[in-house]
Amino acid sequence: MRRFCVLIALASALGAQPRYDLLLKGGHVIDPKNGIDRVMDVAVSNGTIAQVAENIAPSDAKKTVDVAGLYVTPGLIDIHVHVYLWQDLKGEGVQADAFSFRSGVTTMVDAGSSGWRTFPDFKARIIDRSKTRVLAFLNIVGAGMGTGKEYDKTEMDAEAAAKTAKAYPQVIVGFKSAHYVGPGWEAEEGAVKAGEMTGLPVMVDFGRINPKRNINALFLDKLRPGDIYTHCFSGHREELVASGKLNPAMAAGRKRGINFDIGHGGGSFYWYVAVPAYEEHFYPDSISTDLHINSMNAGMKDMINVMSKLLNLGSPLDQVVSMSTWNPAKEIKRRELGNLDQGAAADIAVLRIDHGNYGFVDSAGAKKSGNQLIVCEMTLRAGKVVWDLNGRASEDWKSFPYQKQSWTHVK
Amino acid sequence: MDSRKIGLLACFFITPCVAQAQYDLVLQGGHVVDAKNKISAVRDVGIRDGKIAAVADHIDPAQAFKLVNVRGLYVTPGLVDIHVHVYAGTGEPRSYAGDLSIYPDGFMLRSGVTTVADAGCAGWRNFEDFKQRIIDRSKTRVLAFLNIVGSGMRGAKYENDLSDMEARPAADMALKYKGLIIGFKTAHYAGPEWTPVEHAVEAGTIANIPVMVDFGTNRPERPMSELVTKKLRPGDIYTHCFSGLRNELDETGHINPAMFQARKRGVIFDVGHGGGSFAWTVAVEAMKEGFVPDSISTDIHVGSMNAGMKDMLNVMSKFLAMGMPVDDVIARSTWNPAREIHHEELGNLSVGAPADVTVLRVEQGQFGYTDMYGARLRGDRKLSCELTLRDGKVVYDLNAITRPDWTTLPSNYRQTGDPRWDTINVPPVRRAAPPKP
Repeated sequence: MRRFCVLIALASALGAQPRYDLLLKGGHVIDPKNGIDRVMDVAVSNGTIAQVAENIAPSDAKKTVDVAGLYVTPGLIDIHVHVYLWQDLKGEGVQADAFSFRSGVTTMVDAGSSGWRTFPDFKARIIDRSKTRVLAFLNIVGAGMGTGKEYDKTEMDAEAAAKTAKAYPQVIVGFKSAHYVGPGWEAEEGAVKAGEMTGLPVMVDFGRINPKRNINALFLDKLRPGDIYTHCFSGHREELVASGKLNPAMAAGRKRGINFDIGHGGGSFYWYVAVPAYEEHFYPDSISTDLHINSMNAGMKDMINVMSKLLNLGSPLDQVVSMSTWNPAKEIKRRELGNLDQGAAADIAVLRIDHGNYGFVDSAGAKKSGNQLIVCEMTLRAGKVVWDLNGRASEDWKSFPYQKQSWTHVK
Repeated sequence: MDSRKIGLLACFFITPCVAQAQYDLVLQGGHVVDAKNKISAVRDVGIRDGKIAAVADHIDPAQAFKLVNVRGLYVTPGLVDIHVHVYAGTGEPRSYAGDLSIYPDGFMLRSGVTTVADAGCAGWRNFEDFKQRIIDRSKTRVLAFLNIVGSGMRGAKYENDLSDMEARPAADMALKYKGLIIGFKTAHYAGPEWTPVEHAVEAGTIANIPVMVDFGTNRPERPMSELVTKKLRPGDIYTHCFSGLRNELDETGHINPAMFQARKRGVIFDVGHGGGSFAWTVAVEAMKEGFVPDSISTDIHVGSMNAGMKDMLNVMSKFLAMGMPVDDVIARSTWNPAREIHHEELGNLSVGAPADVTVLRVEQGQFGYTDMYGARLRGDRKLSCELTLRDGKVVYDLNAITRPDWTTLPSNYRQTGDPRWDTINVPPVRRAAPPKP
């Protein structure tokens, strides 16, 4: 009889085993890839998205988190950061994990801090040790960025770059050319050549222009559809013409399939460019930070601050989310990211929109007021909570099962 | 017109360029909390040449080169966080003298912290590398407790090596960098001996600076009660005071009487929140019994930064949530820690003090704060940092309160700041050519 009871208990325990590890309940899901923009529940299991549906029962989940009133989006993707910390003290990179999760970012793409000579070191010291998913645009300059070699044509070896990219297909998503002063096109042409050899896109920081080296030629002759023009609202390269209108090259480039990326940084985002662009309905394809030590404490601050700027410029929230998730995922040809497909890695951001009086600063220190601010409440990476601003996944301390916790603590 | 002329013109348009102004920057109408000078009232704060020049009921706005309205906000001395781990960038994995540390400027300035004390990442063998790598390059004022372990906090193998805990070379290094090395740290020791504590105290006595103790593994051979009542000197610091890992709560569930005795002796109790050193069960009981911490500190490192700790303001907000008054929270994050590390020029707004100033907002709402176990305590207030000044200059400005509206500027405007009060949006300084070899 007793054995029978045990069996019954065991069977019912097995039957009650919840299907999901975690359930985010009652949030407003924005998943641009799947055209979802309404209140839905999201269930996570084994680090992947198990189900997105109306009314998933809490009894089906080991843990349910109430996210009513909040927005649930794919983990944010920031395709322009600098996270390669050099050992020679001159670097401008920051620690990926220190900025990513608290801003809802789960994937960062380093924009050319390393080149084909330095990439293995970057991978070993940073990519492999970060909790953030760190991918990379490989600099066409072998020595990488900020090394004093960015004008050295002998460093721009497309074949070596392509070879490196082929050796690391999991993490290298494209090539970067940056800060090149010309007068020719060696950096951009080298990057595109490497891109053609590998089928990967190129991201361009267009450096210095001259009468022949201009964005019209860049967009129409040099880049390929799918290549990415970053710092698109900097105004440094005639994005705005003398009349205060956008350069027609921008619309022509877009028509050709060039992607326009924010790359805010310390010196690449000005209201006097962004506002006219918005007035002409020219919106960026992707939002990115150009995070480095000189942008982090200036007008840029972090990913959600840059997203908030575009929200206040007039992009609707679903568009802002799209520009920070599915669009950049497509740009880097990582269609498994930036969405909440069933089976996708459960990289998720839970965002709150605050209303109040906020000021947003551009790269000259000019202010634009706004009344909406995006705040990151929670971040999940591969289904695990990696940021929880207000302890939403926690229990109240008075009812918390402290006794069950291990009190032994050996550092 | 070249860009420089535009810049000059812009300067005339944007700010009242009162070249003869008595103050470079005036913070107008904020509620000043300055524990040292016993001020908690609405005051104007005038800054000149990177120093506090006046704190008064009213400063004539005409005397301000740059005037910033901070009404409705708190104006405090720059926050002082005496327990951080910032020896990053060496590339050493699983080491606080490496990958487990964070870079200070990315966290501190946006949290209103202008001074930190690294808590023992480096010992005398690697302090100069730490100085060159981090201290000399940071906008944050970085000071250090030198680890009594010569190799610093590089992992258990080093930190349990009794042969590398010599007082003399540690003291010599501290005397060489007086003011920068503000104390000694002993941490994470697993063995039964008192040696690390005794040697740290010996070094502290030679160099006349305090010792901060993370008491490592809890061992009956060396109980916490004996540490704080016998081994430490008045002025020495017991950090992680609300961890509960070393009998801070006794078997009756009350604060260990030894802690009250030690406090009477002058031993200092510091929060050092970290990833595993703050439990509501201990903190709430301590607050109930009136055992409030002398100083609030983060113990920030990669393991705590994204967990319950988050940043200095979050840890301070936890004490608001437990009922500590705002003035008290600020005192324990400014003037108290400044005194603990013998830097009495910091953590206050006395005329002549370095103008490290923080402007804080107290947000009202529903907030949740988690401890080391992931248990949550709710609160209805939260501190956020609006503005941070380091040596009189803006190093962080959350909502553009120092900034001109873009519509008031000429088209194609460039940098709107001025080096008299700003570090962020100042026109590029023409650098002198490097000396030829």
